[in-house]
Parts: sequence; C-alpha cells; structure tokens
Amino acid sequence: MGKGFCALFKKDCRMLASGKFFLMAIGFLALYTAYVNLGYIRFMQMEPYHVYLYDPAETQASKSSLVQTVPSMEAMDAALSSDANGVGLDASAGDVRVVIYKGAEHIDRHRADYALSLLEPSVSLPPEVLGTNTPEQKARKEITCELLFFELAAVGFLGIAAVLFREKGMGVIRVHAILPLQKDLFLLSKLAVFLLCDLVFAVLLTLLNTGLADGAAVLPAVLLQTAILSLLMALVGLFCALLLKDFRQFTLAYLVIAIFAATPVFLSANTSVKFDWIHYHPFYHVYMGLKNAYFGTAVSPVYYIGAVGTIVLLFLAVRLAFHREIGKEG
Amino acid sequence: MIEVRNLTFSYSKDRQALHGLNFTVEDGEIFGFLGPNGSGKSTTQKILTGILKGHGGKVSLFGQDISAAHGQEFFQKIGVLFEFPYLYANLSAVDNLNYFASFYPKEQRRDVGELLDTLEFKPDFLKKPVSSYSKGMRQRVSMARALVSNPRLLFLDEPTSGLDPSGAVLFRKIIEQERKKGTTVFVTTHNMVDADLLCDRVAFISNGNLVALDTPKRLKEKNSNHRVVIDYLYQGQRESKTIEAPELEAGIPFAHDEIISIHSQEPTLEDMFIQYTGRGLS
Repeated sequence: MGKGFCALFKKDCRMLASGKFFLMAIGFLALYTAYVNLGYIRFMQMEPYHVYLYDPAETQASKSSLVQTVPSMEAMDAALSSDANGVGLDASAGDVRVVIYKGAEHIDRHRADYALSLLEPSVSLPPEVLGTNTPEQKARKEITCELLFFELAAVGFLGIAAVLFREKGMGVIRVHAILPLQKDLFLLSKLAVFLLCDLVFAVLLTLLNTGLADGAAVLPAVLLQTAILSLLMALVGLFCALLLKDFRQFTLAYLVIAIFAATPVFLSANTSVKFDWIHYHPFYHVYMGLKNAYFGTAVSPVYYIGAVGTIVLLFLAVRLAFHREIGKEG
Repeated sequence: MIEVRNLTFSYSKDRQALHGLNFTVEDGEIFGFLGPNGSGKSTTQKILTGILKGHGGKVSLFGQDISAAHGQEFFQKIGVLFEFPYLYANLSAVDNLNYFASFYPKEQRRDVGELLDTLEFKPDFLKKPVSSYSKGMRQRVSMARALVSNPRLLFLDEPTSGLDPSGAVLFRKIIEQERKKGTTVFVTTHNMVDADLLCDRVAFISNGNLVALDTPKRLKEKNSNHRVVIDYLYQGQRESKTIEAPELEAGIPFAHDEIISIHSQEPTLEDMFIQYTGRGLS
C-alpha cells in the first residue's frame, strides 16, 4: 500500500511539474509578496486626511494641531480642489458645516467623523483596544489572509481540476481500475500533493508578508485553516473534474464557485457592504476561520465539526464519481 | 480459468445488457469474443476484469467467484490491453511502464527494456514523451503495459488496432508466445483475420446473447456448402465452374487445358456471424 501510494504521489508531482503548476505557484507567491510589500503596505501608510477649517470668528479654540486653518472659503475651495481626500470644516456661520469633494457616502461619514473629532480632541472617548497589532501588522495580516484565501479557493482549485482533466483526457484513470492498487489511493495521493503544496505556500506567504516573528506565532493556526480550505477546494475540484465532460464546462463551474461564491465573502468580510444572509454562506465561515487564525481569535468547535463532516461527505461523493468514471466506456 | 454461468447485467431497470451468458475458457486457451458495437462485449469484459459490479449469475476466474473480494491478488494475475492506448502523454514509454509496473511485486515484473525490444519499439523514442508517438507505437507501449506483470490471464481488446500489417503479424506472434508460456488469452475483436488465425475458440455475442461458440474451423465447416470454384483455361478461353467437393475425388470432372485456381466456398467468420445474428460486425 505504501509503495503504491509513493508511486502515485511521485507521478502526481510529475504531472504538476509538467503542467507548470509549481512554476505558477512560485510566480503567484512572488506577485503577492511584491504587491503586499511594494504596493499595499505603502498605500496603507499614507498620511491621514487633511482637515481644513474656515473659522473667521475663531470659535474652535480647542482644535487639534492637525487642523489647518484657511483664511477664506476661496482658500478652502482651492485646498480641497488639489486634495480631494481632504475634509473642509466651515465654522463661519456658527455651526460647523462639513465640506467634502466627490466621495462615497460611507467613506465620507468616516472622514467627516474624523474631521469633527479633531475639533475637540480632549472630549473624544478613548477607543477600546482590541488586540496588540500595530496598524501595519494588521494591514499585513489582513491582506495576507485575503491573498491566501484567493490562492487556495481559486488557483489551487483550478490546478487540481486541470490535472484530473488531463488524466481523464488521456484515459489513464481507467487503467488504474485494473491495477493491484487500493483505488482510494488514487484520490488520496492527489489530495496529499495539493495539501502539501498549499501548506508550503501558506508558510512562505505568511512569513514573507507578516514577518518572521509575527508569522511564526500564527502559523500553526493558519496551517490548520489552510488544510481545511485546501482539502475542501481540492475535493470540490476533483468532483467537478470527474462529473463534468470537459474543461470548457468546468470553466463555467469555476466561474460560479471561484467568483460568485467568493466575491460576497470578500465584500462582507472586508468592506462596509453587509449581507444579512452571509452567515448561511459556507465560504464565509471558512474565510473567517482563516482570518481568525491570523489574528489569534478562537474558532468555534462547531465550525471544525462542520468542516470535517463536509470533507468526509465530499470525499465520499468524489469516490462515487471516481468509481463511475473508471467503469465508463472507452 | 474462466467460468461464466447465466451471466446477466443491467445498467438500469429497462436496459438489460446481458441476458444469461454461458461459456468457459480453459487454461492456456486463446478465446475470441466477437460482436458488433453495443452487443455486450465490453460489459462482459468489464465484469470479468472486476471493473463492473452488480451482475447476476456466476462468474469464476482462477477458480474463485469474482463477486467475492479478490482484492489486489486478483489484479496481480491479470493483464488488460484496452481498446485505446491509455498512457501518460507527458511521460516516456520507459517512465510509463516503470510507473505501471511499480504496482506489481518485483519478482513478477518483466524487464521493461527487453519487453519493448520484443515489441520492436524504436529505441530512439524510449525516452521521448508518448505525445510524440504514432498510434502504432502507442499500441506497442500499451501491449507492453499489459504484459509487464507477466499475467496469467490476458484480456486484449482489439490488439492489432492501429498497427501496420507487419506489426499485426508481430502481435499475433507475441500472443502465441504468451499462450505457449501457459497464459490464457481473452480477445475481444472486430478483426476476423485475428480471430481466425489466433483463437482456439470464438464466441459470437449479439444483443447480450451468446449465439454461437466453437472453433473457427468447425463454425465454418458446419456452415460450408462443400463446393469449390475452379478457374481454368480451355481452348484458349478462361472459364470458371462450381462443383461439389466430393466430385474432385475422381479428378477434375470436365475437359480443360490448364487449371488456374481452385477456391473452396467455405464461409468466412464474418459470413458466419451475419448468418447467426443477422448483423454485420462493424
């Protein structure tokens, strides 16, 4: 049994290598790392919004030093024209009026609140501190989590299906039906190869983008969540590849699973867009499991029971589809 | 070696593929299984090779019921050549054979190099990927895959498909050699020449029923009209005459100057198949 598994594992690795899968994974790793370190983090380190105050009667005595006073409304218009992210405060009529150029409603609310809070910094309530991450650490963990989720859900899923479609196309799956081999090993070796690849990818992505110390601290939890997502996606990929006739049909399924299933999760978890039904979305829980792992938050045991149950059910479904495939006509 | 009693199989309630087949295949025999597409040949072969489960009746191989879990031991004893050359296109012939051979015990495996040499595989292509091979070369590698485990029972589906005439002769020679070693061979084919030259016995299957089973010679003799056609020259003219074979015992029973050819009117296996089933083999 062990020898058979080794032969299958070696062959699957060769299939992945010949399909340039490893090269692709290294390419994605380099791309993500460059994006995080050269783009995303620099963007997140931008200065806060500038706040411009027109207050001819000098009614705002306790304002913060971050507030820039302008001599006239014309000067404020000029400042906001060149700094579209800035926030203007017009106190010329007694009450403070917020002036903002071209922004979405939700974002403007944040900016307006921030600008108004600067007028009375001493009165502001101290915020509740959740966690000990610096803004940069938080940003790094968030983006690493998103990229890892995307890589596992979309890219890995596509990779395993591509390998199986190649084997289906060559007809070699049927040869395995008459080999002295436990048939489940054919599936298990593929799952093992992809799991191993995904775990290595998760380690490298986490260490390269969250730093060695921070990365090492969260790695065990991240690897556990990676294993769950990797197995789920690999099994879904195998199931689709066994059931669907060709890669063209698969691309449609891929579109549904990778984009339509993952997009609401990203929106709900990372933006102010909220869906009431998102808690019924299985990917949401998987994504939050990964995010909680990066931030050291505990995950409910119900989630683990659900995940293991889903993996077992998916494996049984894949097994059924596999036995159906090997019995097909030539 | 193979014993099949009242074999039935249904893909669904209203789609019965096999209607009670009965036949046996002896040790060391080359047994031909002939039938048109959709007649139940592949279904029978899949049941015999343990791929399809859920049949009715009794099927025994190596003296054991196939319904009982044979496990890996059963698959160690059989070799299967599929209708199409199923190989890893990105691997070479040697890598393909080493991979498939790795599932069998070491002492059972044949030397891959020697095997490919016996099959007259072009040495230049040994390390090239299968994707660069011709159909005939792929068929040779597939045959090597079926033989690499030294099987006691060999299932061959259209063994000479995709081969040129010399390749087909070589394959028939190799199959004969396997039989001499004691291997039992179960051949599924449309090729009447293969069936006639190779098989000790042939079975005709049509619509899931076995309609005839005998040696190719006896099947033809039983249905022969015992006539011969003689082409000859007489007074500068070429002529042809059909006579009853026993008439020849006393010599040529008509005037002639020169005999050009004598052909028996024995039917071909295909004629026999059409006679038994009312259908052609294609």
